Parts: sequence; C-alpha cells; structure tokens
Amino acid sequence: MKRFFSSKTAESALRCDAETEPFTACSCGIMHFSSGLGRRGFLGGLAAAGISGTAHANSVVPVEKAELKVGFVPISCAAPLIMAVAKGFFQEEGLNVHLQKIAGWALVRDRLLNGELDASQLLAPMPISLSLGLGSAAQPVRAITMQNINGQAITLALKHHNRRDPRDWKGMTFAIPFEYSMHNLLLRDYLAHYGLDPDHDVTLRITSPPDMVANLRAGNIDGFLGPDPFNQRAVYEQIGFIQTLTAQIWDGHPCCAFGMTQPFIDAYPNTYSALQRAMIRAAAWMNAPENRLEAARIMAQPAYLNQPEIVIRQSLTGHYADGLGVVQDNPHRAGYSPYPYYSMAMWIESQLRRWGYLQRPTDALKLAREIYLFDDVVQQARVVGPLSGLQDPVAGGFPEFSVLGQTFPRAGGQAL
Amino acid sequence: MSNEHAVTRFIEVSQLMKRYKPGIPAVFADVSFTIAQGEFVCVIGHSGCGKSSILNILAGLEKASSGVVIMNGHEITGPSLERGVVFQGHALLPWFTALQNVEFAVRSRHPKYSRAKIKEEAEQYLNMVGLGAALHKKPSELSGGMRQRVGIARAFSVEPSLLLMDEPFGALDALTRGLIQEELLGVCARTHQTVFMITHDVDEAIFLADRIVLMSNGPGARIAEIVKNPLPRSRTRETMHHEEGFYDLRNHLVDFLVRRSALVTKSVA
Amino acid sequence: MNSFSETLRAWGLTAFLCVLLLAGWYIATFPAASHSPYGIPDGNAEYQALMGHGPNAASHSEGFPTPKQFLDAAWIQLREPFHDRGPNDRGIGWQLGASLLRVALGYGLAVLVAVPGGFIIGLSPLIRRALDPFIQILRPISPLAWMPIALYTIRNAEECGIFVIFICSLWPVLINTAFGVAAVRRDWLNVAKTLEVVWWRQIFLVLLPAAAPTIITGMRVGLGIAWLAIVAAEMLVGGSGIGYFVWNQWNNLSIANVLLAVLMIGITGMVLDLLFGFIQRRLTYVE
Repeated sequence: MKRFFSSKTAESALRCDAETEPFTACSCGIMHFSSGLGRRGFLGGLAAAGISGTAHANSVVPVEKAELKVGFVPISCAAPLIMAVAKGFFQEEGLNVHLQKIAGWALVRDRLLNGELDASQLLAPMPISLSLGLGSAAQPVRAITMQNINGQAITLALKHHNRRDPRDWKGMTFAIPFEYSMHNLLLRDYLAHYGLDPDHDVTLRITSPPDMVANLRAGNIDGFLGPDPFNQRAVYEQIGFIQTLTAQIWDGHPCCAFGMTQPFIDAYPNTYSALQRAMIRAAAWMNAPENRLEAARIMAQPAYLNQPEIVIRQSLTGHYADGLGVVQDNPHRAGYSPYPYYSMAMWIESQLRRWGYLQRPTDALKLAREIYLFDDVVQQARVVGPLSGLQDPVAGGFPEFSVLGQTFPRAGGQAL
Repeated sequence: MSNEHAVTRFIEVSQLMKRYKPGIPAVFADVSFTIAQGEFVCVIGHSGCGKSSILNILAGLEKASSGVVIMNGHEITGPSLERGVVFQGHALLPWFTALQNVEFAVRSRHPKYSRAKIKEEAEQYLNMVGLGAALHKKPSELSGGMRQRVGIARAFSVEPSLLLMDEPFGALDALTRGLIQEELLGVCARTHQTVFMITHDVDEAIFLADRIVLMSNGPGARIAEIVKNPLPRSRTRETMHHEEGFYDLRNHLVDFLVRRSALVTKSVA
Repeated sequence: MNSFSETLRAWGLTAFLCVLLLAGWYIATFPAASHSPYGIPDGNAEYQALMGHGPNAASHSEGFPTPKQFLDAAWIQLREPFHDRGPNDRGIGWQLGASLLRVALGYGLAVLVAVPGGFIIGLSPLIRRALDPFIQILRPISPLAWMPIALYTIRNAEECGIFVIFICSLWPVLINTAFGVAAVRRDWLNVAKTLEVVWWRQIFLVLLPAAAPTIITGMRVGLGIAWLAIVAAEMLVGGSGIGYFVWNQWNNLSIANVLLAVLMIGITGMVLDLLFGFIQRRLTYVE
C-alpha cells in the first residue's frame, strides 16, 4: 500500500511535468497509424501518460500490451465498451480487446484483482470501495474513464401502481445489484429523501438483474433499482412499471466506470492511455443520439446483451413504454460521458460514509484525485481532439450537480 | 545330520504356541511334531483348536506367539513357493479363467518362462486333475468340485516341497469328495508329495494319511496323540473298510473326537 | 418372448408418460387473457409496438414457454450447434463440449489422484485412520462452497472450474477405492503371498481387478457429481460451457433456452452414466 502511494506520487509529479510542456504537437492528431500524423499523435500519447518520449521514440509498437482481456456485464451501461470493440475504436489504438462476459460484480472484482482481467467495466463506487478495502482487501483500483451517466430506473411491480408515493413504501423489499453500486446509493438517497430509513423501513436485497425480473414476477420483491435494459424488460414482460428514471433523481449521475489496477497502469502506461482514448471516442459515439438505434441493434446480439432489440432501444433512446400504458419521452434516460469527475467520487464517498460502509476518516479530496483519473482523461481527450458527441469537460473536475434538489458539492467545495 | 534324519525330520514343528491377545488363554500350546519327506499327515480336531492357525504358520501367513518351524534345516519366516497351499474356500481369482489361475502360479514359479511354456505347463496340471476340457471357464462357471480341482492344480503347479491343505473338500458333496480324494492320493503317490492336511472327516484322514495328529479342544489345545495309520498304502475307498485294523482305528478316532478331546485339555489345564 | 413384450410395454408406457407430460405442458401454458391491471391499451399502436405486441412484432413469451415456443427456440440452437461468433456467442454444441472437456480434465485428474491414493489408504490401516478425519470433513463440502476459495487461491477461472470438478469427484473415487482395496478377500491376498508374487503383479493382477467393481462404482458416482458440479461452477465462473449457456439464457430470461440446456445436461449425464454402466458390467466378476 505504502509502496503504491509513493510510486503514485512520483507519477503525479511526472504527469505535472508533462502538463507544463506545451501540448500543441499532439492536439491535432488522433491515433491513425496509417496516417502521417500517427507518429506525432503517438508521441503525444506517451507524453500524456507521463513517460518521457525519448526512450520509446524509435518504437513502432505504440502499446506495451496489445492483447487485452476486458470484462463486461451484459447491461446497457456496457455500451461504450461494446461499441469500442464493435466500432473498432480499440483496434484503431492498436489494441486487441477480448471482451469477457462476467456473471456478476463480485466476480468482476475477483477477476480484476487476481489479474485474469486487464481492465473491466466497474460500478462507479467500486474503484473507491476496492481502493479503501471495503468488503475486501484494499487494492489500488482506478476509474480510468467513466462509461455512462443515468440509464437506471426504479421499477415497481404492477400491483403497486397505486402506491407510487415513496412515503407508502414502508415494509417493501427492493433489489439492488451490488452494495457498492450507484443503484444502492441512489435508492438509499431516494428513500431517505421521502422520509424512509433504508436500513430499517425497507429490505434491500442484492440480486442479479435477471433475478430481479424473475423475483418481481414471483412477487418476492416489490421493486428494484436496477440497470437497463432490465427495467424496460420488466415492463416488456408486463410485470412491472417504471416508477422513476435515475435521470430524474440526479441528471448526469455516473453509473459504470471503466477501471483497472494501478500496477497495470504503472506497467503499461501507453496501453492505459490508448484504452482511455478508445473509451473517450466510444463514449462520444454513444452519446450522439443518432447512433442509439445502431447501438441497440449491436448490443442485442447474443455475444453482448442477448436481449430483444426493442427493449434495449427503448432504454437507449428514452422513448419508452412505462408499463402503465403511456409512451414516455426522456432523452436523458441514458447518457454517455467519459469524465470521472472528482466531485462524483466525493459524492460517492460521502454516501458510503452516510450509510456506514466507510467508517474510518479519509481525505475525500485526495482519494477522489487518486482514484478518479479525471486529469488523464482530459489530457487524452485533448489528444483525441474534438468529437461531435463529446461535451467539454468541466474544468478542474468539480462540476456541481443536483441530487433530488440538493446541490453537491456544497459551497466551498466541501463534501457534506 | 544324517541323511536319514533329514528325511524323517523334513519338517520339524517345535513348541508352537499361539495367543491372539495377551491376558487371554492361548489357542494352542506346546505343539511339536515332525513330517518326513513324502509323508501325508492329517490333523483332526474340533473347531477352535487352532488347526488352521498351525497350517497358516506352516505356510508362513501367520506368526506363532512362540516356537519355531524348521523346514529342511531352515526356519519358516514367511510365505514361500516351497509350500503350496490349497485353501479352504478354493480362493481362485474370479476374474481369471481356470487356465489363467494356474498360469498365474506357474509364472510366479518360473518368471523366465515364455508365454507358451507357461500355458503348456498350466494345461498339464489342469489335465492332471481332469480339467482339460474346462480351461477357459471362469470359476463362477465351474462346479464346486471343479473349482477345488483347479485349486489343487494351482498348488501342485508351483512344485512345492510341502503341500498344505486346509479342509479342501469340506464344501463338496460326498460323491465328488470321494472322487477327488482318490485322485489326490494317486497324484501324491506318483509325485511323492509331502502333504500336511487339515480335516474333520475321520474317514478322509484314514483314507489319505500316513499319520494322524489328534488335537484336543481349544482354547489351550494340545496334541493329544499322533496315530500311525496301519493300513497299507495301496488302499482304495471301496476296499479300505475290509482292511484289518480299519475299524479299530476308526473307533479310536471317533472315540477321541466324541469323548476324549475335551478331557485331554482339561487334564492338562 | 415374454421379456420382449415386457420391453415393448415399458416403452409404450414411457411414450404414454411423454405424451401426458407434453399435454400437461401444453394446457398449462395455453395463452390466457392478460390478468395485469394495466393491460396493453387497445388504441395505442405505438405502445403496443414498444411492448412487442404490434402487428409486425415477433411473438414474445410471457412466463413459461409453450411447447411450440420451446421447439422454436430449440431449433434455433440445434440448427447450428457449433456456430462460433466470438467467445461470448458460441453454439450449444461448443458449450457442451467445453463442459465435457472441463469434466474430463478435472475428473481425469481426480481419478489419477484418487485411485492410487485409495490404494494407499486401503492397504494401510494407519494411513486410513490418520486421513479419515480430513476425508470426512472435506467430503460433504458442496462444489459451490469450494468456488470462492478456489477463485481466491487459484486466481484463474478456468483452473477454478477444473479444480471444483476435481475436488468434488475426488472423494467418491477415493473412498470407494480405499474400501474396495481394504475389502479384497484375504484368501486372494494369501494366494498371492504364498506364490511370492512381485508387488506390481499383486497390484495389477490381484488388487486392482478385485477392487475394480467398487472402484468403478465410485468413479460412476464421481462422474455424476462432476457433471452436477460443472453446471453450477460454470454459472458462476462463466466464459464457456453449458452452465454459462444456462446463465446467459437466464440473463435474457429465455426460459425456453434454459429448458433446452437442462434437457441437454440431463441427456449428456445419462449418456455418461450409461457408458459407465457398460464398463461396470464388463469389469464385474462373479465369485
């Protein structure tokens, strides 16, 4: 742990040096090796990763490790990762990514930590919980990009169609996919907002998404805050309705991150940056509304989500049947952004503390900067250049946002 | 040691005692006798007198608590091809055919023999006991008498100096038993085989044995007496009971088994 | 002739039960009117389309599939059982093959360890008594309980699956071999002793054939357990195999495909057991 922190500090120092250098040389080129600009782009990538360009200047292979095993969980949040493979964004960075479909978040954690996976889709709180050693031994895991924002929903069983006020939900049972998930934290915040104590007034049960739908049908749970497309799937199966989209709780909340361990970043800095660039482009592609239909078609394939295309399409476009007979429109239902903002990490940390997962004192700001690699993403975004679907990052990495009407971070940049 | 001495004292059993656990009475004690080369010795006694134990000690499969068995000037310490055993239950290996069972023994005796030579030898011994037609049958396909014959052929096939037989015909019907007894006597006479055999059948002992060892009842069994068979060796089952001394011997043995076997142990104890 | 007609009648009964089962299935899944308080409104064509009920929409199941839906799904899978569109989309034949390969490796390893191990335990009462507590404690542990331990220590999902198969099929083979060897009739061993048979002939020509029926029984039980465990292990570990197929189809809530996989698992298990039954008959001797 100690060794890691010190090496990290050294690396941050290097990164600062890189930042002070004029960055003009590489801001023009994306990584196209066939083009004449590729080489300069490559050098820029190296510089951005904090590695002195001279050592590798003659190298033809830009990444140290081209064959990568990357885990994903078959939910809509995985869209950028899937698109980065399907649309060739990884390929263009010289990476050959082998996607592995993983059956659950605990398994994702284990396989990332034991080195079977080089990188993986992670729930946004997981890099924080893993780095802090919550629920497992502490391991330095990093969110190297964010994958998606919004895209979740609270789904209730149809029998509760006239109990839509959360104040009436005392005694209900809800399913969530994992403890260290935005689903858990958002549901808890939502329930607390309406005066319920999520630890005593309701039962929260960790359940895999397909089991959520099956249990909803069987009547074992009253609802769930789960990932798409399973919310839409419950509607499609005529067993549930969409109570609220998480976009209506916190518009722009992170959901899934793309992560890897710090030792991997240290060992393969160019691969790390190349993955970031591909994921930035994938997020930009996904975020463009005109691409959502194609994305739904690709994701429906058995190799990816293995779900009816029409279900995925509704969760991606936000033009959906709500389960109560109404066609709803909310273009914010699913969004994609690669930026792991520090303030997001700080909100997550504050919520982990609020609900008792995190008890020892920590420096939230320091942790956020250490685990959410926002600065690196911004640098690589500059390398990639302007992309149509991509929003400009909020400078500094501390955007304010509103969760159920509460502004975060509060004035003065302090968490809670 | 004179040659004649060596012949008469081919096997010398002295002061054998067997106790299974300390603190309980010995099964038998003070058992001493000799077997001469070419001699056929039978042991008769009630169940529990330890006669099987004595045979197993001779075979080297069991250890005596005290006492020694000397064979040809060497102490018996373990099993050996020198002593062939015909077991009470035929003890054929059921996954082998009759021929394979005997071949198994021949190969043990002659590891350097070729496959063909071993087969030839094994067939010869099976022919000897009249099983030339059942070579390729498994034991389960053979009658009780035939199985016991295979067992005898197997024991003979290793050409042992001493043949040990533990109630080999106990499980057979009277007719088969008589037949095999005659065959056995014939083979032994031809090969001058030394035999030590356990039986509880008085007529079998009289028919086969040169000498008969009588054991008193266990625990604490002892050799009550050793009776020499006065009948000529040329006896047959049909004519045996006409021989002089047959009824005396038979009465003596039956009387021992019925009455005296229990008394001897008591008087010693 | 009598046994022939008996066989015929047994087959007839089997066929009858089959028809009964299918009929029951058909009736039980007969499409009923929707009971949900919010049925799909008649006038709203767009909503209908989004719910998969439009005129052009493909039929979609609500709950348990009908026999027809099952057959349709099964046909799609069985039409090209060996299709390979990347590691996350392979045909059911591939998946079965992957499972069988894992079982072959894990189970083969278990047999290689358990049979010699069982011999040692069976031949040495001291070792038997020394190891007994370990065996008794380790034996009843479920494959799924091994899984997290294996994942954490072995750190490789593929080896994990094989390890779980190994550890589950080990015990019945080990225990049966030890029992079989210990229970070999004294007489047969005495025969070998009096014939001064060398140790390896004693093992291969006496002990092994004598204990073979018991060992094979253990191997048959072990293979059954291995086949049970592989499905559970693959559902957890994922990647490939029939267990992964089940999980993947469950992820799509496709009960028809899960049913198909269950059927395939059952049939494969039966074939494996029949195979062992055949070997067992060959190696059993009559005393």
